[in-house]
Parts: sequence; structure tokens; C-alpha cells
Amino acid sequence: MDNLEFILNGKPVSLEGVPGEMSLLDLLRGRLGLTGTKEGCGVGECGACTVLLDGRAVNSCLTAAWQAGGREVTTIEGLALGGGLHPMQQAFIDHGAVQCGFCTPGMILSAVSLLGENPDPGEEQIKVGLAGNLCRCTGYHDIVHAVRKAAKVMAGEES
Amino acid sequence: MSRMIVARTLDEALEALAKGNARILAGGTDLMIALRADRQLGRELPETIVDVTRLVELNRLDLGAPEPFLGAGVTFHTLETHPTVAAAYPLLASAASTVGSKQIRRSGTIGGNAANGSPAADGVAALCALNAVALLASPGGQRRCPIGELIVAPYKTTLAPDEILVGFYLDRLPGEDSQVFAKVGRRQAVAVSRMNLAVCLDRGLARPRVVLGACFPTPRRLQEVEELISGGKPGEELWRAAGERAAQEFVNVCGWRSSANYKVPAVKAMMAHALEDAWSALA
Repeated sequence: MDNLEFILNGKPVSLEGVPGEMSLLDLLRGRLGLTGTKEGCGVGECGACTVLLDGRAVNSCLTAAWQAGGREVTTIEGLALGGGLHPMQQAFIDHGAVQCGFCTPGMILSAVSLLGENPDPGEEQIKVGLAGNLCRCTGYHDIVHAVRKAAKVMAGEES
Repeated sequence: MSRMIVARTLDEALEALAKGNARILAGGTDLMIALRADRQLGRELPETIVDVTRLVELNRLDLGAPEPFLGAGVTFHTLETHPTVAAAYPLLASAASTVGSKQIRRSGTIGGNAANGSPAADGVAALCALNAVALLASPGGQRRCPIGELIVAPYKTTLAPDEILVGFYLDRLPGEDSQVFAKVGRRQAVAVSRMNLAVCLDRGLARPRVVLGACFPTPRRLQEVEELISGGKPGEELWRAAGERAAQEFVNVCGWRSSANYKVPAVKAMMAHALEDAWSALA
């Protein structure tokens, strides 16, 4: 069997013996010890397992590990590069968008993916963009607000 | 443990399938759940998983061709956002936008939606309204199969074990016709349809297309509803009559199931609203 090779958080990885049925989620958490990505449901309904595949949000529980081959995977661990938090992470902290934190990695990555597609989303667009990420704690209001704020920071309109 | 083959050519994929005990992987939004259940229940996994997402034939989007073609590997995200789809088949774009979540739409494919064969499939309802004819490839060659003959029972297709769904040929619809998709689910997103509706109308009501999904075991156009519409005078009375006829058809085929208490009045209203919307869109 060939090695599975892809770019993980900016660095190339080469893995042997990856089973065909293994999900990207199981690979990240189980084999690679990157436990920032969570398993909330395992069937693609909660979004806690969201990672970026070539910059766009997917459910890693529904993605076969082998589908990452030759592509770029970004987990929550890969967001804060260069020693500082990503503006989205900072906005979540600043605006009360984190309570228990379990949905947070997936929520942040979905939001980052959304802003990558649409740098200035309105409230409705944010809600659609985050519809695949469930939060049991916050009631979403502060999450949506944090995403709006992060969008402004990333556009250079605020700091 | 399964072996993954990431097929680079259609021949490579067909060769892998022909060996038997293989499953096709596209978006994975159905297959990965099935494999997870298999693992949890100690069921045997396929020997081979064939990833077909890199095949050019399955990713072909050629809606301007004399025979409009939609590749099986086209994702719901592409259907939702691609300008050509929005222009030629707003029905498909609309249906795609109601599927799952952003994450699911990024991965999930129209081909997988059909091959999974759920009676509630949103992509399938739209395909049915467009008289989609599936193109299937096997080591023996290719064949075509209308969508109503591809999905023959809930979760059951006539795909042979060595066949790959390559894509769909669609009817070309006149640009001036309206196309409406409606969906009712338990949530606003990440919801399996409890009912979905694909409706196409023209100004003269000469060629209406009506598909009611998640209400029948297999995809079908509602011929009697279409006949009623094409014989009638456009307006609230006709839309309501069409809704009644559709609900009647639902009960005729499925019997009075426990869901009928909800679905019968809901179908009536949903059909009337969708027809009103489709008619207004023509103005």
C-alpha cells in the first residue's frame, strides 16, 4: 500500500498503512494526536469535527482520510500560526462566543471558511454558513456577533 | 480493513469494481456513515473502496451542450454556486442549497444522492423534474437509464456491482419557464426532507412539471397533477385543486400512513404555494 501524503497545517505528512475506511477525523485524533477536532456525532450533523480541506470547511467524520491525499488540511491547531491567535479565535474570546468550548474548533473553522468565500457576510449569511455547526451553550447570538467582528478585523476596518 | 483506490481514470475505477467486494466513494456523506455503522456492528467491510472524485468524466458540467450533461461527481456546492447552473437550472441550484450544511454540500455529490436512492433525496426530485437520464459505465460499455428506472425502491437502484454512475443527461428547459423548489424538513438546515417539491411552469401551462418527493417510494412526476394544471385556468383555484390532487395521489400510492395526518394538509398547502410562486415568477 502506498503512503497517504498531504499537507497538514502547513507541513507535509506521509503516513503508512492508513485503512481505506478510516475517516479523516479518526486519522487526526487517533493517529496524529490532534485532538482539537472533536467527534460530536460522527455522522455529519453537528459540525464539531469540521476541518478545512483546501481552505473550505468539511465534516472530517464524513471524509475518508485518503481523500486528503495531495491536498491541504487545516485543523484548529493550525489556525494560530506565528505565535498569535487568528483574528477569528480572538473575536470568539473577546465576544463571549465560547462557553464549554466543544463546538468551538469546528465553529471557528466554519467561520473562517465562510469569510474565505464572503469577506463581508450579513447576519443571515453567517447563520447559513454556520448552519452545520451546533452549539448547546451559547444560543449562537454571540457567535454570530463574533464572526461579524472578526470580519471587520480581517478587513482591516477594526483591530 | 479496506483498501482505498484513488482512481485516476474511469478504466482504473471500473477495473477495481470488477474485482468485486468494492464500494464507490464520492462525497462520502452517505458511505462514511454506512461504513461507520458496519464497523460498530462488526459487519464485514468492503475489500476495496474506490474513490471516484478525481475522474474528469464525473466532474463534467456541460449544461450548454445540445444534450445538457451533469456529472455525477458535481457537488451540491457547485450546483448551488456555479453561475451556469443558476442560469440554466435554477431548480437544481435551489434544491442543492437546501441539502445539509455548507460542509455537507462541499463534499456531497448529485450522483451519490441518486445512487443512495433515498425517497427524500432533494437532488433526485430536481433531476426527476428535469427528466434526467443516467449515464452508466461498466467494463462492458455504457448504458443510459431514466432516473425513474434507476431508483426502483427506497435505497435500491438498478446499478450493477460493476457499474459507475457517470452523470445525467437533462432536458433543456426554455429560459422563460419558471423553476421552483420547495422543501419542508424538521429544521431549517441539516434536515432530511419530509416533503420536497420541484415545479416548472410555462406561461401557457402547456408543459408543467411536478415532482413531489419524500412522499413516494420512488421518484416520479405527478402526471395527473400535471394534466390538471395544463387543462386549467391559472389562479388560486387551480393551484389549490392541484394540491388536492397531489395529496390524493400520495394517499393512493402510500395508503393512509401515520404521517398522512400531517402530510396530506401539508402537501396541499405546499403545492398551492409552490405553484403560486412558480406562476408569479413568470410575470
